[in-house]
Amino acid sequence: MDETIAEFIKRTILKIPMNELTTILKAWDFLSENQLQTVNFRQRKESVVQHLIHLCEEKHASISDAAQLDIIYMQFHQHQKVWDVFQMIKGPGEDVDLFDMKQFKNSFKKILQRALKNVTVSFRETEENAVWIRIAWGTQYTKPNQYKPTYVVYYSQTPYAFTSSSMLRRNTPLLGQALTIASKHHQIVKMDLRSRYLDSLKAIVFKQYNQTFETHNSTTPLQERSLGLDINMDSRIIHENIVEKERVQRITQETFGDYPQPQLEFAQYKLETKFKSGLNGSVLAEREEPLRCLIKFSSPHLLEALKSLAPAGIADAPLSPLLTCIPNKRMNYFKIRDK
Amino acid sequence: MEQANPLRPDGESKGGVLAHLERLETQVSRSHKQSEEQQSVQAQEGALGTKIHKLRRLRDELRAAVRHRRASVKACIANVEPNQTVEINEQEALEEKLENVKAILQKPLRIHHHSVPVFIPLEEIAAKYLQTNIQHFLFSLCEYLNAYSGRKYQADRLQSDFAALLTGPLQRNPLCNLLSFTYKLDPGGQSFPFCARLLYKDLTATLPTDVTVTCQGVEVLSTSWEEQRASHETLFCTKPLHQVFASFTRKGEKLDMSLVS
Repeated sequence: MDETIAEFIKRTILKIPMNELTTILKAWDFLSENQLQTVNFRQRKESVVQHLIHLCEEKHASISDAAQLDIIYMQFHQHQKVWDVFQMIKGPGEDVDLFDMKQFKNSFKKILQRALKNVTVSFRETEENAVWIRIAWGTQYTKPNQYKPTYVVYYSQTPYAFTSSSMLRRNTPLLGQALTIASKHHQIVKMDLRSRYLDSLKAIVFKQYNQTFETHNSTTPLQERSLGLDINMDSRIIHENIVEKERVQRITQETFGDYPQPQLEFAQYKLETKFKSGLNGSVLAEREEPLRCLIKFSSPHLLEALKSLAPAGIADAPLSPLLTCIPNKRMNYFKIRDK
Repeated sequence: MEQANPLRPDGESKGGVLAHLERLETQVSRSHKQSEEQQSVQAQEGALGTKIHKLRRLRDELRAAVRHRRASVKACIANVEPNQTVEINEQEALEEKLENVKAILQKPLRIHHHSVPVFIPLEEIAAKYLQTNIQHFLFSLCEYLNAYSGRKYQADRLQSDFAALLTGPLQRNPLCNLLSFTYKLDPGGQSFPFCARLLYKDLTATLPTDVTVTCQGVEVLSTSWEEQRASHETLFCTKPLHQVFASFTRKGEKLDMSLVS
C-alpha cells in the first residue's frame, strides 16, 4: 500500500471521534468482521489507528477505498462544511429525464478526467436517491490533493446539487460543467442560499419544511393555544394588552406557520441605495452615489430567532418581508438596490 | 237441598253437599268473571273515548293550522310579510358566500403547500394548467402521481418477490422510469442470463415505451433462445413487470412438474 494512501487513511481515521469509530468502520465495509474483532478499541487512539492501518495494508487498500472512507466521514460530519446550492436548467423541449446512474457516473468522471488528467472521482449512493461525489483535484502535472476535496450531493431527477464550498475556486466552472452535462441539463446557476445544515438546505429547496398539513378540524381557537400565558392562572389577573398579544401571535403564526423552521446560521443583505432622509439639506441626502453597506444577521438558528422577535416584544409584527421571505424565496443572500 | 241417600256410601253423601258447594262456587266465580269482563270492557271504552277526544283535538288544531297557512300564503302574495325578510337574508348570505368562493378561485392561483415528491414535474403541470383550468391541473397531476406509484410498485415487487430470478441488483431511478436488470428463468441452471432495459418515456404510463432484452455473453442466439428473447421483449411491453415474472415462475413450476413425472 502506498505511503501516501496509508498517511491519508491514518489522518482520516484520526479525525473520527472514538465513539463513532466502529459505526463508521462498519459503514465502510472494507475491513472484515474478523479483522475488526482483532482490534482492541479501548486502547489509546494512536494504537488503535496503527492497528487499523496495519489491517488496511493486509487488504491492500487503494485510493478509492480511502476516498470512500473520507465520504462516509463527511456524511457523518456534514456541519463542518458550508454548502452551496446549485440549480440546473433543462434546455427547451428536452426529453423526459431517463436518469441512468451508471451513465451519469461515467459521463461525470470522463469530463473531469479529460480536462484535468489527474483527478480522483468517487461516488457513494444513498437511500434517498442522492449520490455523494468526492473530487480530489490535481492538474495536468500534479497529483490530486486528497486533503482538499470537493463534495457534491446530487439528487437525481431533480435540478439541484449541493456542493461544499471549496478553497480551490478555479475548479468550480469545470465542476458545474461536468454536473450539467452528465445530468443532461443545459445550464447551471448558483443559488443565493448557503448554510452548514445540508438537511435544512434540502428542506428549503425541495419545499419540504412546511409539511404539517392542517385538517379541517384542527383550527383551535386562539384562546386555547398557549400564548405563554398559563391558562390555569388566577382569573383575577387580566392582561391589559391581550388584544395586541393575540394579534402578534396570529401574524407570527400566519407568517411562519406551526412547523419547525429549517436551520440557517446567517442572512446577509448587501445594500446599494441612496440615502433617504426627511431633513432637507442633509449632506448624505445630497450624495449622488448610492451608499453601500453590508448587514449580516447571525444566529445558531436564524429563522426560529426571527420567529420569536415579535412575540418577545423586540420587533413589531409584521416583520419586514425581507426577513420573512427567506425560506419561501430560497435565499439568504440578498442584494438590494434602488429601483 | 237433597237429603243424603241412605243407600249411597259415605263418600257419595259428601258428594251431595260437596257437589252443591262446588256448584255454588262455580256460580260465584262465573259472576266474578262477568263483572270483571264488564269492568275491562268499560275500561276499554273509557280509554277509547279519551283517544277519540285527543284525536278530535289534534284534528281541530291541524285544521286551524291549515287555515292559518292558507291565509298567510294569500297575504304573502299580496304583501311582504315579516317571515319573508328572514328568508331573503338567508339567501343573501348564501350568495355572498358563493361570491367569496368564486373570488378566491379567480385570484391568480398559486400553490401554497404541497407534499408532492420533488421529481414529479409539479411546476410544469402548474405552469400549463393551474391558472386556466384547475380541473385539468388536478387531473394531470393525478395521472403523473398514479403512474409513478404504479411503476414504483412494479419495481418494488420485482425486488422483493422475485429476487431469486435476478442475477444482479435492480438498477432504478427516483421516478422509476428506467429499470435495468439481469435475470435467469432457471436460477442455478446452466443457461445464460438475460439483460433487460426498460424505458418509460411517458411519465403518465405504467408500461414501458422502449424495451430491450439481450442475452449476456452470447453473440449469436440459437433460434429457440432468439424466440424466447423476442417473446420476453413483447411481454415486458404489454404486461406489468411483476406479472411477467409471476408467469416466469409459473412456467418454471410447470417444467419442474414435467421433470418429476
